[in-house]
Amino acid sequence: MTSVKTLVSSIAYACLLSSAVSSIALAAECSGTIRVLAQPREGLTLLENYKDEFATLSGGASFEIDYLNENDRRAKTKADASTIGKYNVYYIDEANVALFASAGWVSPLMDYYPEEYDYADFDPGRQKVATYDGKVWFAPLTGGGDLLVYRKDLLEAAGVKPPTTLDEMKEVVKKLHQPDKGIYGIALRGQRGSGANVWRWMPYFKGFGGEWFDGDTPKFNSEAAVKATETYLELFKYSAPGTQTGGWDESVGAFTSGQVAMLVESTPLVGMAIDPKSSQVAGKVGYLPPPTPLTGGGYGHGLAIGTKANADDASKACAGLFIAWATSKENEQRRLEANQFSELNRTSIMTSETFAKLYGPDLGQALADTGKVTAVNFWQSPLWPDLGDRWGIILEELIAGSRTDIKDGLNELEGFAKDLVARNQ
Amino acid sequence: MKSRTSLPAVFLAPPLAILAVLAFVPTAYAIYISFRDRELSRPDGSFVGLQNYLDLFSDRRFINAVGVSLTWEVLTVTLTLLVAIALGILLFEFASSRMRGVMTLLFLVPVILPRVSAAFVWKFAFHPLYGIVTYPYKAITGQPLDLLSSPATALMTVALVDVWQWGLFFAVIVLKLLETLPPQPFEAARLDHARPWEVYAYVALPMLKAPLISLAFIKMIESLRAFDLIYVMTRGGPGIATETLDMYAFSQGFIESGRISYASGMAVLMMLATTVIFTVIWKRVKP
Repeated sequence: MTSVKTLVSSIAYACLLSSAVSSIALAAECSGTIRVLAQPREGLTLLENYKDEFATLSGGASFEIDYLNENDRRAKTKADASTIGKYNVYYIDEANVALFASAGWVSPLMDYYPEEYDYADFDPGRQKVATYDGKVWFAPLTGGGDLLVYRKDLLEAAGVKPPTTLDEMKEVVKKLHQPDKGIYGIALRGQRGSGANVWRWMPYFKGFGGEWFDGDTPKFNSEAAVKATETYLELFKYSAPGTQTGGWDESVGAFTSGQVAMLVESTPLVGMAIDPKSSQVAGKVGYLPPPTPLTGGGYGHGLAIGTKANADDASKACAGLFIAWATSKENEQRRLEANQFSELNRTSIMTSETFAKLYGPDLGQALADTGKVTAVNFWQSPLWPDLGDRWGIILEELIAGSRTDIKDGLNELEGFAKDLVARNQ
Repeated sequence: MKSRTSLPAVFLAPPLAILAVLAFVPTAYAIYISFRDRELSRPDGSFVGLQNYLDLFSDRRFINAVGVSLTWEVLTVTLTLLVAIALGILLFEFASSRMRGVMTLLFLVPVILPRVSAAFVWKFAFHPLYGIVTYPYKAITGQPLDLLSSPATALMTVALVDVWQWGLFFAVIVLKLLETLPPQPFEAARLDHARPWEVYAYVALPMLKAPLISLAFIKMIESLRAFDLIYVMTRGGPGIATETLDMYAFSQGFIESGRISYASGMAVLMMLATTVIFTVIWKRVKP
């Protein structure tokens, strides 16, 4: 086992021409191992093939990435950052960037991000979710909004058009729901969690005009929340088995295995659905922006500089260099060439000829269209994971049928929110 | 008798000291922070006395978790012992020596599997669309069977996996215990025309009372650590239907809130309750 070294490094600034990154990079003198805690991403796995390149660029440093699935990664990063701080780089996301930034667990990225790596090239939506309190905290690895992804063959056979409004979608879902033939109308997420069932419920809530807070006063206990929940529960009658307590994996798995007619999911689904290696419905898939009035769930995941493990500026600079390199145009180009659709974040890559050649004009148009309805649906506060997870439990109880009164659930959440705000003032 | 040498003390002292540090330091710290309002995102925090403990009793998730934990204990301990005794007797009564060897090997496999791996395998096996366990039901009725999504069946389904791991392992122990018993009492019972079940109910099992009680205690302690199995298979859901105390404490401490003082309060209460309940049971059933 490779021994775990604390990153002991120093950075000496001098200009060198770097052929590998095709731009003038600051030559760094980094040593030791940069430890990264992340969740599995194909792009990161691909990155591990280029350790030598980073060693040359950094002046000798290596990196090690530990992977945990989303919920475990969130718990582990929180525990590590608040206690021993073993990791130099954390994979964080839109839901916990406010918490990590306000607690001082991560450092402002742009103070240590080499200018020539062109942060401004990232998709503006992703830059927005990486920003909290006026500062940028992570460089995106993945992100985007939502798309309505549907089975063209099933819709054509039923003689219906792809829905553009929620009412149309409900009708089509009901029409295509044929469990006896192994086809379910839709796939939703029932598993509790701010990034699971609540994530898929929020487009309804925001689409119906819901708001989370006005200052410190909860505003979510509203007609919009009741209507959103009723709609979500109604649609769940047509959701594939296993999704009632499932998350992204279960919904996407049901769709790519050919058992679901349509679903509104995060944009990376498209990459999986059109890839014959991971999908049985490749070639039969169409995509559109989410039906009106649903908003798209704007999100972004990326790499941030851990504060505790990088005790001095030199260490932070090395972590910043690693992040810049890992999310650079060159590495994103490699991900594009490896057909890793969900790992693309840079405007220059998504508007490139190679992208258009690989994915066709339809997807480019759908992504551009969905960008117009993509919004930040969650409450941008360090307290969001706590509130979102609590609503996730209540929502899962409603989905599973162990509670039936929506208003009672919202009242409970409002009481919880008031306590939460009071406790943190 | 007094030991003539201090050698045992010399060898025992270092490991005991390490164990004491490992056991008492975290326990003492957990008790200490349970009287504070420390959160992961706020390293400060002040003394709040018994507030965390008082809050627990008005927390519906805590009350629910106590109920789920108790149900889990009763279900898994009872079913594990019943399965172990039944299978142990069946093997002892009907299996040849060679067959016993093969079955023993097979029965040991589940408990050797890491719990997380076992949980993932079974979670997939119970999947309503692709699961091998639910497939026959789907094939016969045409309807999917979603056992892990129903509050009524989720806990029982996870408990079955626990029993699969430990019941088979304990069956091997029961078999080996039966093999150590002297044959004379069995022969005497049969001469008195005792039926097979009576031989075991009135002769063999009473003779094994002490080791069976020990097995029950081992399982009771093991069942308190069901976190990994439940976390992988249901994450405490649907809703809070399978949320045990350790699962809820972890959620409060690390997944949702970062309220480690509140979570520590739960852990301290759990430790006290476990100590008291186990001591009482031990005193009452001591063979």
